[in-house]
Amino acid sequence: MKKLFTLVTMMIMVVGLLAACGPDREEPAKSGKTNDKEKETATEEAKPEKLVVWEDVDKSVALKPAIESFEKEYGIKVEFKELNMADKMRDQLRLDGPSGNGADVVTLPHDQIGQVVTEALIQELKVDDSVLNTFTDASIKAQKYDGKLYGLPKATETPVFIYNKKLMPEAPATMDDLYAKAKELTKDKQYGFIAKWDDFYFAHGVIGGMGGYVFKETDGALDRDDVGLNNDGAVEGAAYIQKWYSEGLFPKGIIGDSGGATRDGLFNEGKLASVMNGPWAFQSMKDAGIDFGVTAMPTLPNGEHMKTFMGVKGWHVTAFTKSPYWSTKLVEWLTNEENAKIRFETTKEIPPVKTVIEDPIITSDEGAKAVAEQSQYAVPMPNIPEMGEVWDPAKIALETIATGKADPKEAMDNAVKTIKTNIETNHPAK
Amino acid sequence: MSVKTSKIIRLTVSYLLLLLAIIIVVYPLLWVIGSSFNPGQSLSGSSMFPENPTLAHYQYLFDTEKSNYLNWYFNSMKISISTMILAVIAVSCTAYAFSRYRFIGRKNGLLTFLVLQMIPNFAALIAIFVLANRTGLLDTHLGLILVYVGGQIPMSTWLMKGYLDTIPKELDESAKMDGAGHFLIFRKIVMPLATPIVAVVALFAFIAPFGDFILARILLRSEEKFTMGVGLYEMVAKQFGNEFTTFAAGSVLIALPIAGLFLMFQKYFVSGLTAGGTKG
Amino acid sequence: MDSIPSTTKTPIIPPLKTKHGRNAALLSIIPGFGQFYNKQFMKGIIFLILTVAFFSSFYSTLNWGFWGLFTLGTIPGVDHSVFLLVDGIIALLVALIGLLIYAVNIYDALNNGRKRDRGLSLNSVREQYHNLLDNGFPYLMISPGFLLLIFVVIFPILFVILLSFTNYDLYHSPPAKLVDWVGIQNYIDIFSLDLWRKTFFGVLGWTIVWTFGATTLQVAIGVFLAILVNQKDLKGKAIIRTFLILPWAVPAFISILIFSGMFNETFGVINNGILASLGIDTIPWMTEEMWSRVALILIQSWLGFPFIFAMTTGVLQSIPEELYEAATVDGASIWQKFRSITLPMVLFATAPIMITQYTFNFNNFNVIFLFNGGGPALPGQNAGGTDILISWIYKLTMTSAQYGKAAAITMLLSLVVVTVALWQFKRTKSFQEEDTM
Repeated sequence: MKKLFTLVTMMIMVVGLLAACGPDREEPAKSGKTNDKEKETATEEAKPEKLVVWEDVDKSVALKPAIESFEKEYGIKVEFKELNMADKMRDQLRLDGPSGNGADVVTLPHDQIGQVVTEALIQELKVDDSVLNTFTDASIKAQKYDGKLYGLPKATETPVFIYNKKLMPEAPATMDDLYAKAKELTKDKQYGFIAKWDDFYFAHGVIGGMGGYVFKETDGALDRDDVGLNNDGAVEGAAYIQKWYSEGLFPKGIIGDSGGATRDGLFNEGKLASVMNGPWAFQSMKDAGIDFGVTAMPTLPNGEHMKTFMGVKGWHVTAFTKSPYWSTKLVEWLTNEENAKIRFETTKEIPPVKTVIEDPIITSDEGAKAVAEQSQYAVPMPNIPEMGEVWDPAKIALETIATGKADPKEAMDNAVKTIKTNIETNHPAK
Repeated sequence: MSVKTSKIIRLTVSYLLLLLAIIIVVYPLLWVIGSSFNPGQSLSGSSMFPENPTLAHYQYLFDTEKSNYLNWYFNSMKISISTMILAVIAVSCTAYAFSRYRFIGRKNGLLTFLVLQMIPNFAALIAIFVLANRTGLLDTHLGLILVYVGGQIPMSTWLMKGYLDTIPKELDESAKMDGAGHFLIFRKIVMPLATPIVAVVALFAFIAPFGDFILARILLRSEEKFTMGVGLYEMVAKQFGNEFTTFAAGSVLIALPIAGLFLMFQKYFVSGLTAGGTKG
Repeated sequence: MDSIPSTTKTPIIPPLKTKHGRNAALLSIIPGFGQFYNKQFMKGIIFLILTVAFFSSFYSTLNWGFWGLFTLGTIPGVDHSVFLLVDGIIALLVALIGLLIYAVNIYDALNNGRKRDRGLSLNSVREQYHNLLDNGFPYLMISPGFLLLIFVVIFPILFVILLSFTNYDLYHSPPAKLVDWVGIQNYIDIFSLDLWRKTFFGVLGWTIVWTFGATTLQVAIGVFLAILVNQKDLKGKAIIRTFLILPWAVPAFISILIFSGMFNETFGVINNGILASLGIDTIPWMTEEMWSRVALILIQSWLGFPFIFAMTTGVLQSIPEELYEAATVDGASIWQKFRSITLPMVLFATAPIMITQYTFNFNNFNVIFLFNGGGPALPGQNAGGTDILISWIYKLTMTSAQYGKAAAITMLLSLVVVTVALWQFKRTKSFQEEDTM
């Protein structure tokens, strides 16, 4: 009786709570968005109190002067914070943005654009064609998703060939030459050439150069259903990769997630004559006192250039900014010729601004020149969200190819099968 | 074989086995210390006894211009000490209630929490973040401390309750006869006898924040508020650029105070854990 | 006429002529009124004030929270489903606390009404105060700790449970889109989609081997060393113990990262230094599945044995010496003494802690993730060779943002862990003894 009684009263109370009919809201903030658009057309835009920028770790030296001149020009205060661009930037924006602590402008690697646009973390940019024309075509293409522009490019990078001049006085022109040299140099814990080809980011240079592709590009759009990682070219590339491992030219100790650190260590200690690595590695090589040269990657045995992945870091306006107009202005400011030059001078990141690339400051810089040259043969990493399903299966395939556990053809077939299933399962067709 | 020779054999074998165990335990640790004095940056290039040892990595860490290490160190100490104090208070109260009183929910209450805590919760990290955000505790050390204290309660309460059970009840009963109130008995009679387990609980609470880099990475936003765990983790987890030897130096500096504390508390430790774990 | 039935019908226990109990309880539907009915005005006012205060301060929390919990938002881009879910859980917890107070109110009115029915006098305000102090003390003591636990332990679990019934993934992710309730769809998918099911069982197998292998080894080593050190005639106990406890004093993630470097096949000191000097060929620690697993179990033993060691040492010291002396007199060998005195004592004493060690390793994400990221890769598999369930779930959420599914797998896992742990706990003797105290 008592139990029944309490039960009834509890039910009454619960129903009472549910009956409360939710918050009263007038058909709300949607109007905010339309307002913004109206405002954009207005000539004089209200200036925000301040803008917040999230910059990559250790790169704010290039940002500071640009901010100062922006503040002077427009009288808007700009604050910045450094965050790891690879993952923290996006993760933090996801959580901080909606709760009101997000930035107005962020920097992201372009391969995340598809995903963050799907999640509506960044917004479309409206920029004059005159501004767009100052950048290289490939870098602008990387900033577009579904035909719309979502950012302006800040810097590009792609792996290049770096050699220790003491151990390898001259850079070979072809991979065949390099192969012969590596055979000769690799002994007693000394290595002639190392590339982390168990990592798809680096391996794409070979696989792409031999004819493989991730997603087929048709009319400027990527076809997620056409995965070319197990076509003849790709398998040939995978077999070529396997050769370097099976003949002992690449040590097994560089396979796996911690292998990159090991590779850098070897090079900086002078135990490694040459390496395939990105421009980000230059600084620590200099610090280690290595006298090194940089060129574009040697050509593959089929005579083609390596089709390395190009990464484009961009500046984006977040969906959470209260002032899209001024944030866009800031993005334009940060990427203009003057500030792009400052960026190159302070951080050695290479801005894809046409006039800067042709400027002597870059053409006279061996590293930058090599990156710029290799960029001509490079393809931007796919920026559609489906790319997220490619990395892991590709890595698994390459790792098993490197350790000799799997035959190239079989491994690549498996990878493509997994990629396709994962895309079907996790990414509903549009 | 006489009794004496068998004893000698037994002891010799024991010493040899223990020596082997100690070598296995100490070897990696010596190795960390060694590489922290190595001039290079990478793991592959360092050795246990570097030919030309250098203090450069330590100097780098202590250089406030270049690294935030001292800041992190201070933060970690602050968080660990606060966690320790709050956890000891909360755990003592809860354990005392569980040991001395009979009340509704006593029997299964603690067990429930102990078991619930075994549930892995990656997804819950988002929940904790939003909660912290809602309560204004995001990017504050207080929020992190509260989470750490909460995490300490089930296991430590379990241990302490076991220990308190071994303290004779006659003590508090006679005190009650003399007219002592509930709180007075708790504070003046029972807790002073529980020093060993308090030491154990305090130590657990102190070291837990040092080993965590996941929660702290989610809840702390600004670099100057980072703890040592997060700072050091970011140092090695960096995708490009490898600072292994600096990391090693940082690790040595973390391990020293903790190891010191362990050794100081060792004698409590054994007796505290025994009774606590035994009764459970 | 009147008096006869009343006397004849009177059973041995006098019937309750009054219905104060029922009346008071019914009146308590409005908190406090039952107490007024019982003429406990002070208490009634307190209950009434509590109720009013509760509703006036939490009305909007509850209103907003429950609305959010049911709808998960209605306007994409404005309503953030995940935040609403969190607000909803907070409202749920607040409502539970409210219901608790409410239940106490009714229970109290009912109780006192019954007392009146039996003609007993009720406590005075003063007595009530003392009563509250005595009975309330334990609750007062546990409330700070439990409140914290509710938010640190219960709250996240509720979140994961609820999340597992939603379609939260990349394409249903706020702020762009709203998350919706999808019932048990995630659970169905896990078992019906090939991709998930195939890998699941492979990973589960190794997870079980890992849990039992690593934990048992660390327990065995800990107990063995403790017994070794505890021999009466062994010298230098303190210093040996100090050394053996050291791995515990170094934060685990640091040790694991160090080990990961030491086990590197080509450059690590284990292959180059130790094994080379013993004349053993290099062992593929990081690229062969089997060796990676061996390395992980060894590392976990290194990390985990000191805790067992310290605890067992304590237990050993508390075993009365007379037991051994008596056994010696009876002519028992060392082995016999170990088997029939030491081992049972140790296991009996430490059983609950041992169980937590097993469950800890079942979910030991750090060691797997930091050592080799779950690798080496295996041909044709979705998970790495050393991935346990928890690290596999992590990869799933990271690569394809399948939060809802990951939550569902987490729930399935938890169900297993919690059931096994509870069952084991209840079986341990030290827990059963609880009742007799």
